[in-house]
Amino acid sequence: MSPDTLDALALSLRVAVLATVVNALVGVPLAYLLARRRFAGKALLDLLVTLPLVLPPTVTGYYLIVLLGRRGWLGAPLYAATGWTIAFTWYAAVVAATVMALPLLVRTARAAIESVDRDLEKAAYTLGRSEWRTTLEVTLPLARNGILAGLVLAFARALGEFGATLMLAGNIPGKTATVPLAIYTAVQTGEQSTVLVLVAILTALSCVVLVAAGRLGARAT
Amino acid sequence: MSERLEVRILKRLPGFTLEVAWAAGDGVAVLFGPSGAGKTLTLQCLAGLLRPDEGRIVVDGRVLFDAGRVDVPPQARRVGYVFQGYALFPHLTVADNVGFGLRDLPAARRVEKTAEVLERLGLAEHARRLPRELSGGQRQRVALGRALAIDPALLLLDEPLSALDAPLRRALRDELRAILSEWRTAAVLVTHDFTEAYRLGDRIVVYDAGRVVQSAPRSELLWRPASEPVARIMGIRNVLRGTVVKATPDRIQIRWRGQLLEAVNSPSRSYLPAADSPIAFFIRPEYVRLIRKDRGAADPSHHMNLMEGAVVGEEDFGTTWSLRIRLDAPGAAAQGDHDLEVEVPHLVYEILEIDRDRRWQFSIHRGSIHVLPA
Repeated sequence: MSPDTLDALALSLRVAVLATVVNALVGVPLAYLLARRRFAGKALLDLLVTLPLVLPPTVTGYYLIVLLGRRGWLGAPLYAATGWTIAFTWYAAVVAATVMALPLLVRTARAAIESVDRDLEKAAYTLGRSEWRTTLEVTLPLARNGILAGLVLAFARALGEFGATLMLAGNIPGKTATVPLAIYTAVQTGEQSTVLVLVAILTALSCVVLVAAGRLGARAT
Repeated sequence: MSERLEVRILKRLPGFTLEVAWAAGDGVAVLFGPSGAGKTLTLQCLAGLLRPDEGRIVVDGRVLFDAGRVDVPPQARRVGYVFQGYALFPHLTVADNVGFGLRDLPAARRVEKTAEVLERLGLAEHARRLPRELSGGQRQRVALGRALAIDPALLLLDEPLSALDAPLRRALRDELRAILSEWRTAAVLVTHDFTEAYRLGDRIVVYDAGRVVQSAPRSELLWRPASEPVARIMGIRNVLRGTVVKATPDRIQIRWRGQLLEAVNSPSRSYLPAADSPIAFFIRPEYVRLIRKDRGAADPSHHMNLMEGAVVGEEDFGTTWSLRIRLDAPGAAAQGDHDLEVEVPHLVYEILEIDRDRRWQFSIHRGSIHVLPA
């Protein structure tokens, strides 16, 4: 394999792992809130989280530029203060992958948490557990397989992210060119062998992921 | 009588209002009534899982809730709750389920206490098992053990037998009764089955549509339901409607289906309806006497409330037969195709050859016709 191919693989794995970690930290609490709490703006939050699932990825990427780009709502003050912008760095690829993967985790984890019998939580309250301890000791352990299945799906989605990444991070070999972007470049430039290797690797990974998610999902019920 | 439990709750929900007040002393108070009457909502208010809009809840002098002033959270109420379907933690062993509420105890004491509860409930050998590996009866005992382990000031049981099938249900009803009387914890139990209510309760509180329609010691309820709705909720058979002919402090005469019935008026109630006003009453099917034909003609001076009719239907309940009787009187029958349901022991059914002989005379002692005040 060429160094560019290896770079693309290493970058993709790094981006996907990091995006999955951020998903776990943000997505699981979010799923819990959506499953168990009632609060103002809940419907809006649900919509915002889910939107990347149905929007064309380039549109999501455009919104990310509007938000985080050098002249973006958050990006401009950041650039003014530090002279640094996230656009066209590999962090941007992580952000794009995270946002695109989040709905998959949140939806799967939310369904798993909602399927936990509320009487179990009430029983824990009467036995002296706070809501926080009950979540840790009862709700999350019982929703574990669903949450893990969601994380596996989120990882797969992050690994395959193309459109939003291209918009926010660009396609810089060795820097932001993840495997899907590298495949695109290789097809454009006619590097058949690189295309075949990368396509085979992504296909194999996707199969593994689907089987794993399926098994976890089956055990969750 | 000193009351251990005082409950007053007003809770408005969309399309349903729970407004109840009752009190109970030692032993088991049963909340009895049809599904959707507000029984489980009451338990949730007692446990602190649902906050009433108004009211007050006191257990053994300790105020758990007083609208606007006190609202002890469920974690601090020391109220044991046995949920419908038990709600055992499926990922924890029997021992961990039972010990779940003992987290604040030192580890050694927790283990000891858990073992003691498991031992008392005959669960010691199942300590390492998961709930899904247990039978229905064992699950019930684990749920009881988990709730009792915290030495609750009050034990709540929501339809504790509904998850079981019929034969097991009867055995476990008696087991539950033994456990409750052994532990001597004040308890509130919810059921929609009157037999269960009667077997398990010391006091029965009858619920209907979010209200209490009667609260009484169980024997008083069985023999003196306060009104026609209570009698119907209890599933009492032969709840009938007639017209008052004459009422005195000790007798009431009732016209019904062409008969003139004489009933005892309970002096404790001094119910004196005006003549010609409608009146509800009930006759227990097992208290209707068949007149034997081999002992000569019936004597009206000896056989009270004598009437005559035909068997129009019957059902075999194993040890008893239930006969549907239509009286020899013009007009529509009181209960669909029949006027009276009469229950006779199997032996009597055979001796009198009721399967061949369908026409009978009946007599009902005046003390067996129970008047239901409006």
